[in-house]
Amino acid sequence: MLSINNLQASVEGKEILKGINLIVNSGEIHAIMGPNGSGKSTLASVLAGRSEYEVTGGEVVFEGKDLLEMSPEERSHEGVFLAFQYPVEIPGVSTANFLKTALNEVRKHRGEDQLDAMDFLKLMKEKAKLMDIELSFLQRSLNEGFSGGEKKRNEIFQMAMLNPKLSILDETDSGLDIDALKIVSNGVNSLRSKDNATIVITHYQRLLDYIIPDFVHVLYKGRIVKSGGKELALELESRGYDWVKDEAGE
Amino acid sequence: MQETLELKQRLLAEFSYREQLLNGNTETPLEILRQDAMRRFAELGFPTVRHEEWKYANIMPALSIPFISPKPSILTADEVKEFYLDEIKANVIVFVNGYYAPEHSNIISEEIKISTTSQVLKNTEGVSQFSEISGYKNETFTVLNTDLVTDGAWVTIPDKVILDLPIHILMITDAREYAPIFHPRHTVHCGANSQAHIIYSSYTIGENSGFANTVSEVSLGQNAVLRQYIIQNDNDSAYSVNSSYINQERDSNYSAVTISLGGKFIRNNHTSRLAGENSEANFYGLVLGTGKQLIDNHTLADHATPHCQSNELYKYILDDRSTGVFNGKIIVRPDAQKTNAYQSNKTILLSDTATINTKPQLEIFADDVKCSHGATSGQLDEESLFYLRSRGIPADKARALLLHAFATDVLNHITIGSLRDTLDKSIAIRLHDEDDDIVIVE
Repeated sequence: MLSINNLQASVEGKEILKGINLIVNSGEIHAIMGPNGSGKSTLASVLAGRSEYEVTGGEVVFEGKDLLEMSPEERSHEGVFLAFQYPVEIPGVSTANFLKTALNEVRKHRGEDQLDAMDFLKLMKEKAKLMDIELSFLQRSLNEGFSGGEKKRNEIFQMAMLNPKLSILDETDSGLDIDALKIVSNGVNSLRSKDNATIVITHYQRLLDYIIPDFVHVLYKGRIVKSGGKELALELESRGYDWVKDEAGE
Repeated sequence: MQETLELKQRLLAEFSYREQLLNGNTETPLEILRQDAMRRFAELGFPTVRHEEWKYANIMPALSIPFISPKPSILTADEVKEFYLDEIKANVIVFVNGYYAPEHSNIISEEIKISTTSQVLKNTEGVSQFSEISGYKNETFTVLNTDLVTDGAWVTIPDKVILDLPIHILMITDAREYAPIFHPRHTVHCGANSQAHIIYSSYTIGENSGFANTVSEVSLGQNAVLRQYIIQNDNDSAYSVNSSYINQERDSNYSAVTISLGGKFIRNNHTSRLAGENSEANFYGLVLGTGKQLIDNHTLADHATPHCQSNELYKYILDDRSTGVFNGKIIVRPDAQKTNAYQSNKTILLSDTATINTKPQLEIFADDVKCSHGATSGQLDEESLFYLRSRGIPADKARALLLHAFATDVLNHITIGSLRDTLDKSIAIRLHDEDDDIVIVE
């Protein structure tokens, strides 16, 4: 589904990603871990098409297409979804109407019929239940005045509505209490299928008790320095990152 | 400078001519007042950009337009029809080029008195209330309006009347055959414990320029509530200067929402004097500037007594070569302790050639007050734009959505739901954010 080959990227002239290689297949969950400043969020941003990051080398192929050539909205239409580390507050735009606009744009691209307000509401009710979100919440301005946990839940709710092929969760667990973490994880798990894939970017192993990854990668100084199964996450939890740094030749 | 003289001389000549028609009957209180105003106008003349209050609003180009004081103009019902607010049942009072058009007006509510300025000025008591609030002597356009007043609505809301239906004052400029200049004067008296809504809207028929020099004088009695909605949508060669003078007695509550859409040059002077304790004034404004429009909002919240509150929010979306001006003055007089006064001006500039000039002016002479002001200007928030795009919304649509949301913040202060919805729709169309199929949860 996704093939990242020797991806290099910089921001404001500073090189952050120094040659990332990663293959993600349908049905897989990949966890990307690493210390602060290792380039985890940069990778997520580059995949979603944030303009302040400049790709200086390598390629990203998604479902046979050059992902890096696409605008952020085209990536979304093709089935890429980024759950933001810091979801943006947008006063004056209700979550419901924003999502209806977004979903219909995606459906248009897929050659599906537009949903009217009634059908949309039905779908929204169903997905809101999944994420334990009150409907009144969706009438409010997008993320405005939401708590950290509410914002993250809203991200996964949007993911459920848009039904992407590849979801990238950028530190979705950071700052969540255990109840919110369970709700978010349940949401992600219930959306899992053999046709989609997820990249979970996290700083903490705790999330991986709830979302069980098939592969764990350690990102350090802009490169993936170690890959393994879910047991790698446990090892990182008990031993910290220092031994990885040592192995990387620091 | 030559042109300045020209319009000024023409207006003074018009005044002298009108005076001759009185056949020497010039000693009435009204004529004495008008003569005084004429002398003041001769002294003051039109402001140039060297005048601090007119620094960014250059009126000089208007003075070379061959404006003519109009004769009453007759419009057909069909011509007026499109300007009614169909979805709102209201008391409608229509003026064409400043003249009352009874054939297009419709007063339904029996509990209020609606007359016209020309009628009221026929009796001495009316004259004593004319220019009572504005004081008229200091500001050129108000002086000129006092000189040459065309006509206008004269509304009296008696004590304790809670008016169900709004009053809609519809001002139409007929600029089909020539460029008219006229001087509407509206007066609104709200009795103690009364409550009312007034909608003002202005439109142009025809392609010529028009110049509406409007003055409104409004008084709120004790505990009165008045909400005014001002919709400015003239053609793109129209000039207007709108001076509103509000006087508020104890416990009164005044709000105004001014929506500036069409017009080449719009200058709004909105002044409220918080003359009685615990009174509250709220000014909101939304400006959508395109082309070479200039839209200038000058506000003054004059806190004269303790425990009063004023709150201002003006939002501008400026595109092309348009210019916005916001000058918000707050005066807190020595007695006005425990004043709360807030002011905010936010602008989104959509082009490199659009300009906003914003200036807060706080003059505080009391020591126990809370005053704040803030101004922001810039482009649309890139992070918000990226967020929407990452969800599949194309860049153009995402921009429109964000601009519409920015504007909605002001529209939400309109308490007549159907008016808010109508305006919201027309603003959505202007910002290309059209969606008739809104999701309403529950």
